[in-house]
Amino acid sequence: MRVVEFQSWGRVQAVRSPCLELSWLDQSVFIAPEAKRLAYGLGRSYGDSCLLSGGVMIRTRGLNKLIHFDRESGLLRAEAGVTLSEILELVVPEGWFLSTSPGTRFVTLAGAIANDIHGKNHHVAGAIGCHVRKFSLLRSNGSRLECSPAQNEPLFAATIGGLGLTGLILWAEIQLVRTPSAWLEVELVPFTGVKEFMSLTEESAKGWEHTVAWFDAAARGKNFARGIYIRGNFTADGLAGKEPRKIHPQPRLSVPMTMPSCTLNSWSVKAFNALYFHRVPRSGRKLLQHYEPFFYPLDAVDGWSKIYGKRGFFQYQSVTPEAAGVQPLEEMARAISASGEASFLAVLKTFGPRTSPGLLSFPKAGITLALDFPNRGQTTLRLFDRLDAIVRAAKGRLYPAKDSRMSAEDFRNGYPGLQEFLPQVDPAFCSDFWKRVAPA
Amino acid sequence: MNANDKAPLSVVVFGGTSAIAQAIVRAAARERSVRVLLLGRNVQRLQSVKNDLAARGLSAEFQCADLSDSTVPWESLLRAAMPGKIDLFLVAHGELPEQEPILNDPAWLARTLQVNFVSAAVIATVCARMLEQQGGGSLAVIGSVAADRGRASNFVYGSAKAGLETFLEGMRHRLAKIPNIRITTIKPGLTDTPMTADMPKGPLFSSAEKVGTLSWEAIKKGVPVAYVPGWWWMILTIVRWLPRKIFYRTKL
Repeated sequence: MRVVEFQSWGRVQAVRSPCLELSWLDQSVFIAPEAKRLAYGLGRSYGDSCLLSGGVMIRTRGLNKLIHFDRESGLLRAEAGVTLSEILELVVPEGWFLSTSPGTRFVTLAGAIANDIHGKNHHVAGAIGCHVRKFSLLRSNGSRLECSPAQNEPLFAATIGGLGLTGLILWAEIQLVRTPSAWLEVELVPFTGVKEFMSLTEESAKGWEHTVAWFDAAARGKNFARGIYIRGNFTADGLAGKEPRKIHPQPRLSVPMTMPSCTLNSWSVKAFNALYFHRVPRSGRKLLQHYEPFFYPLDAVDGWSKIYGKRGFFQYQSVTPEAAGVQPLEEMARAISASGEASFLAVLKTFGPRTSPGLLSFPKAGITLALDFPNRGQTTLRLFDRLDAIVRAAKGRLYPAKDSRMSAEDFRNGYPGLQEFLPQVDPAFCSDFWKRVAPA
Repeated sequence: MNANDKAPLSVVVFGGTSAIAQAIVRAAARERSVRVLLLGRNVQRLQSVKNDLAARGLSAEFQCADLSDSTVPWESLLRAAMPGKIDLFLVAHGELPEQEPILNDPAWLARTLQVNFVSAAVIATVCARMLEQQGGGSLAVIGSVAADRGRASNFVYGSAKAGLETFLEGMRHRLAKIPNIRITTIKPGLTDTPMTADMPKGPLFSSAEKVGTLSWEAIKKGVPVAYVPGWWWMILTIVRWLPRKIFYRTKL
């Protein structure tokens, strides 16, 4: 096996591991039984949950075939490495859409399931695990198990959000949703303070299917915790001159090389955030948007994470439960603006009560905050320690897909499903994340 | 090939599991309806390609056959499996083993030449005869940039493809007088497919999707020889003209 360098999206660490490429479902997977292994799709996890040093990385992107698409019922069965982007290209012209989608379409279907991804409609639709009907799991003992709520249910629940630790997903079947078109009516509403965000959330909970807020975590003084609330609904109205079932374009721009690490510093980030905030008038703005800029604004620039430079960046995504209220968010915002660390593209979103079957599923009813920070070494990590304390006190948890540093203790306390998960782990599967957080 | 034709484009693919062939068929299907017959060895893989194409709305069938067997009565097999006019014959089967082990194994060496040259030439001849009988249609055969100059790292595969490309040039010459017949030699560069799974990937690699789309454009226009992507022509022109003194010092 050839040795290949693998990186995750945050580009903070890289591993060099032997690589096995899967292209066909009937392909034999010859790996020494004692060797640890991990599936790798498109490497869009930010931290170390998609990396394994000292073991075999199994690239699944070659498993890129569709198996069945029922245009009447919206059931789609496809191989593990098919991307959400490829699924959209197929289903949008037929009037279907993903039941829920993360902020990038460049993830594989199996990766989406293994991280139980969520999207802007979590408050109504739940995570993707709520829409997975069935999948086939290849275990290290060679068995191929069909898993569904009715068949091998414990493995079904463990594999959704299971970070690739229960085996290798070969194919999966998901339920799509009908949409009136590929376009959304969108409203942008500026807000100042977490309380204004909460009242917008309440106001939007009923009539809006997709909601999210961009949040300026670096602003101080009278601008503290300002942001823009973004809400949208698929629509059939006002499409004159538009192609109703238009699919997304291919990325037109790309970051050709790793930028100098100083490109995003606290000055440039503050300037960007101020510009972003002020492009929306105080009274708000309404517009008609295609799904591409609405759901995937960053996908337009291929390889955007390289803008963070050679040292890469961290994402810190937490959820704090409803019961804790807005206080933890205000505390986190204060800690960030006091630290002087620059957070670019902070995202706030409320999760709804719909629970996923996934035992280690990240979302739970409450508020999630995702923050990007350039890696400035110790000073950045010290801020994370302070944020950890706030999340811990609020009985919240961190998102493994974004993480490369959470402690085993915080993981155990944040994920009560862990005890039920452990017996389902395939002993030959492992990740660098798991080495760090697995109970001894 | 008339892109505005209402009738579905009928395509026969030799080597139905080839990633580039699949991408060509998908590119064609983005423009018009397509019915396709896949030929190959591995039933499960043919079935999975068929399912994939069917999920995309194409009508696909497959048939198992040993493409390296020159005694197969291809014409009658095709007539039975795909009645009516065949618009496009796509010859896409091939094998790309690692070079060093083949040089130490005469049987494997012979097989590599047999699959990549002899069997492809035999099949191309059958297809050309059927095109003549129909009085028109297209034949597209996958060659390689490796055919342009024997290089230490890849000359077994490269020489088989060179033989095949010369064979096709002769066939084009022979049929030049028939206006509706088009023969296209597709010369992909490094392409990210299962065939190259074990090669380290660099910036020169193109996706199968891109190679498929560009190949389909070339087939539609009836381009005789198409490098895909086109810039490989530049690279290979330089490689071909490198003086031996310099060439032998490179590690190509």
